[in-house]
Amino acid sequence: MDIDKRTRQLSARLAYIRDIFGPRENASSALLTHRLEEFLNRAPELGVLDLRREVDRLEELFALLEGKLEDELTPMDRVRIVRHPQRITLKDILENVYDNYAEIGGQDEWSVDPGMLIARATIARRMGRKTVHQPVMVIGQEKGHGQEFRNGGSIKPFGNANALYYMRVAETENIPIHTYVFTPGAYPIEDYPGAAQQIARNLFQMAGLKVPVVSVISEGGSGGAEAIALADKRLMLSHGYYSVISPEGAAAIEAGLKKKADRRLIERCAERLKITAKDNLALGLVDRVIQEPALGARPDNYEFFRTLRREVIRATDEVVHAAQGLGPLRALVLRHRGGVDPQDIFVRWSLSSSAREALLIRRREKFRAMSAHAFVDNRSLGTRLAVGLARGLWQVHSLLRHDIFARYKRRLSGRIEQWEAELRALGLGMGSLLGRENGGACHGVPPEALSRLTTLSCPEEGVCRVEDRWVYVSPKSREDRTVTCPNAATHGCQDLWAPDLYGEFAGVCAHCGHHFPMEYQWYLYNVFDFAHAYEFNAELEAGNPLGYEGFDLKLAEAKRATGLGSSCITFETRMEGVAVVVAVLVAPFRGGTVGAAEGEKLIRAIERARIKRLPFFMYSHGTAGIRIQEGTCGVIQMPRVTMAVRRYIDSGGLYLVIYDTNSYAGPVASFLGCSPYQFAVRSSNIGFAGPGVIRQTTGLEVPPGYHRAFLALSRGHIQGIWDRRDLKKNLHQALLTMGGRNLYYR
Amino acid sequence: MRIMAACARLGHEFICVYTGPDAASGHVRMAAELAGAGCLARIRSYQDPSELFAVADALGADAVHPGYGFFAEDFRFARRVRLRDRPLTFIGPSWNVIRDLGDKINTKRIARSLGVPTIPGSDRPIFDEMEAAELARTIFAFQLEQGIAEGCVLVKASAGGGGMGIEEVYDLDAFRSAYRRVRNYARRNLSDEGVLIEQRVFDFNHLEVQIAAERGGKNAVHFGTRNCSVQSLGRQKRIEAAPGFDPGSIDYAFDAASVLADITRHSVNMALAVGYDNVGTWEWIVTPRGEPFLMEVNTRIQVENGVSAAISRINGADGVNLIAEQIRLGLGEPLGYTQDDISFHGAAIEYRILAEDPQNRFTPGLGRITRFSWRAEPWLSVSTQVPTVLSGEPYDIPMDFDPNLALAIIRGDDLPQARARGEAFLDGLDLAGVDASGGPLCTNVAFLRARTQTLLRF
Repeated sequence: MDIDKRTRQLSARLAYIRDIFGPRENASSALLTHRLEEFLNRAPELGVLDLRREVDRLEELFALLEGKLEDELTPMDRVRIVRHPQRITLKDILENVYDNYAEIGGQDEWSVDPGMLIARATIARRMGRKTVHQPVMVIGQEKGHGQEFRNGGSIKPFGNANALYYMRVAETENIPIHTYVFTPGAYPIEDYPGAAQQIARNLFQMAGLKVPVVSVISEGGSGGAEAIALADKRLMLSHGYYSVISPEGAAAIEAGLKKKADRRLIERCAERLKITAKDNLALGLVDRVIQEPALGARPDNYEFFRTLRREVIRATDEVVHAAQGLGPLRALVLRHRGGVDPQDIFVRWSLSSSAREALLIRRREKFRAMSAHAFVDNRSLGTRLAVGLARGLWQVHSLLRHDIFARYKRRLSGRIEQWEAELRALGLGMGSLLGRENGGACHGVPPEALSRLTTLSCPEEGVCRVEDRWVYVSPKSREDRTVTCPNAATHGCQDLWAPDLYGEFAGVCAHCGHHFPMEYQWYLYNVFDFAHAYEFNAELEAGNPLGYEGFDLKLAEAKRATGLGSSCITFETRMEGVAVVVAVLVAPFRGGTVGAAEGEKLIRAIERARIKRLPFFMYSHGTAGIRIQEGTCGVIQMPRVTMAVRRYIDSGGLYLVIYDTNSYAGPVASFLGCSPYQFAVRSSNIGFAGPGVIRQTTGLEVPPGYHRAFLALSRGHIQGIWDRRDLKKNLHQALLTMGGRNLYYR
Repeated sequence: MRIMAACARLGHEFICVYTGPDAASGHVRMAAELAGAGCLARIRSYQDPSELFAVADALGADAVHPGYGFFAEDFRFARRVRLRDRPLTFIGPSWNVIRDLGDKINTKRIARSLGVPTIPGSDRPIFDEMEAAELARTIFAFQLEQGIAEGCVLVKASAGGGGMGIEEVYDLDAFRSAYRRVRNYARRNLSDEGVLIEQRVFDFNHLEVQIAAERGGKNAVHFGTRNCSVQSLGRQKRIEAAPGFDPGSIDYAFDAASVLADITRHSVNMALAVGYDNVGTWEWIVTPRGEPFLMEVNTRIQVENGVSAAISRINGADGVNLIAEQIRLGLGEPLGYTQDDISFHGAAIEYRILAEDPQNRFTPGLGRITRFSWRAEPWLSVSTQVPTVLSGEPYDIPMDFDPNLALAIIRGDDLPQARARGEAFLDGLDLAGVDASGGPLCTNVAFLRARTQTLLRF
């Protein structure tokens, strides 16, 4: 090779190393810089043979030191690798891993969202001398080596919508989907649809997608990643990161939003968040790690692309195998895979209809088992056994009562109704034959009806209708002070006396209807009748799965202050005589954030509702998102709970979500946002990221009231806005009118 | 003014609050005369409780008299007076009594539970269309049975008030659509679908029973009845006469004496049953056939209390002052007399003289009063805030409140005599002024004069 070209390459490699290790003092890179400079100074004097020898030696030195540096990589260095413009992109993968591809749904900047790249690709496999081209739907974020219009792989809601559409196409065509995650996070705008809304839709649909999905994560930034990463097999590149929040974001939160976080804090946060491939593999959140060359793969590492190709083929094969089985010999080869290139054995990737169901069950079980040890389980062995036993008994009970008995009962009562109607028709006909007068509005009123006009009706209701409506009265109502309504300037509201406002008015301004925030206990007791409810799984408590430094203390403090083990309370209660399962996300406990314990409790509550055929209400008293201190153990709750929800809705339940105060980020972008029945209490905010975060990440200034419930309603995110005082009435109305057919009281 | 007079009579110190537009009016002058300028406190609005409490605390008040309007029937105000960190005495019933009787539906239910007659119809909000139709059908049948040829049913939103969301229905076919209209109105504007269905009573007499009860609600007496049938369009009373009926000197189509006995008995019983503990008014309507129905309870002293006081004597002594009684009872003093000690003598008529235009939907008049005087009589007492009476100087009617000019009470031995004297008073009244456009000021004197004729013809 030309000496010039080789030296240029070496300079590029050095620049790359400097970029990755940044301003950090580094002996290796200093040595390389020195040696390269020395060489370049001496080069004009050297002869051809000397030059070649020198370059050979330099290249050896580079390889050696790169290997050494590889061992020194900190998590933050990996983040820098992933963000480097020379990092491989989806286009490179399409060029090098797949045998043929065609981009669909846009070309470069002429696309709904240039960051989202969707392509139909083929992988050629050999069967003896014959070649079989297997079609695949490839979906992923394209960062485009620094192309501005790609938006750094930050996907707007319509980009995710487009991805979802082509996932459905793949489902129709029965071809596997390969998704490649190269995103720092979703673009947090609220539009038609909003970011959270669309991610929730994606997750909900992917939870039931009946084709194999293999996902490769290079840069997995929280919600934006989850939008396409719910997969049967999740692979991860060895230099990638998968995280709940960018280390800078975590550091900003640690440092407090006003101050700017310094570099060391960012480094520390990156370490604590456990974002590397190795950590995620250890946590069981990804299935396999694909080894990259030292200091990360770049577009000219052809050997790496061959590895990647082998790995995605193998992963897809495994998914198909798990779902529908293969011939015994191929299964044996697949299991041992001693030196056999997976593309040499043929596996048909389109699934039969029975295998599609099996695939879903596998996917469900896979996600159900994740993060199983990331929370504190204080239940005794006896309780656990009892719970398991009760669950089994309920399953049998539901089967007998709802699936078998109710069906026959319905059939029988239908017959009886028919006969009864027939007999009535007979009587009516006879009546008209006899010429009975059947008109005249005021005739035929019995005398006791007349007396009813002047006597007390329904004496059992009591004489006095005016009584204190609320079982639980907020402690704020005991202060003698006045509160000014925030709308006073525009609506002319008078100041409210705190005992009136927080007592009788239930925190609602009497004039303009502004809802002041109330404690979650107010809802528990006044809406959900918590005093007579059966709370379950209170022993599942939030833990510190990553060993996040300093978090144990904060968690203990939160538990002490609220008296709760986690930010989620799940219980079974009766509303107007109908038994319902309710889950409440409690804002005072670490901002209502969701971690592994909350996810587990939610899933258990949903399963309970499904098995017992009960409606499931989810009341979000406020949530700030996923608990960042739990890292990816928290993020994984998004697909986990969504899958449980999907299963519940598919089995004909009623899943209703109520938002209050401020609900943002992960939960809204998954299990809350995917409900077909979402309602907000007035004066609440719903969205993906708060105005501050939007400003930081996108530079956009959002108008005031950007996340108001009324705007969420107009965006189609929620289905209605309810007055706090009417919540109980409206929920009863929902019980009567909404939901699937498989509820016990229907 | 009468409240201040009562305070002065009982020997209590008082603070008079006033707003900017009222600074020149009579009650402020009178307060200054009675107790000096130190008792005056200027506030921005009569409707802001916080401001009132600030004044009360600053000047060290012990009790609050809510007057006739704004706060008198607001149980939240009464509750706040009692439950704030520095509690005051509320001159009026306990807040929970105000709350229970402040709601018409609730009053109706309490009344029915005690066997007190109420207007035929529902006593709770109806949410079901079938039930509503059934009720309406029964009410029509009821009216037919009573011999009312043209039955009428009132459909109104249970959470509504002030005439919105009320419809009259004359036949059952129209009922359904009216019901839906009212229900949809209620759902949209009041976010409460409840609808009330009642008989509409035409041509009724509006009678009131004046009740007084001591704190604790153990003892209650009544101060007779009064007839407030002459009202303006917005149900504002214009002429009140006491007693309500005068069976001794006027012939009625029904047994008026027993009606009066019934309604006073029912009112006192109900006051005892709910534990009523101050001065209040039970409002009744009496149909042309002589059936009394309880309409509502006013849990406050009313402007027309003077007319009841004028005909009552306690232990034979004249000069009953109901406002003084109210303050006395409100401060927790016992009643000190029983029903047997109260006797009634003669009759009285009260006129409310207002600057308003009876020809034009009783629109309040604005302008300046230049002349206001009357001939003094032994049977006449007039109270007014208009300074013209005394000084002769012109007075601008304040824009912000009811253009009340004067209250005149005329006494007589019986109602016909009081009526004749009333006509004489109105004829001799010299009231003139100019309105904003320079024309003569509109007052309701002619209206009062005309209605005095028909007042007692039932």
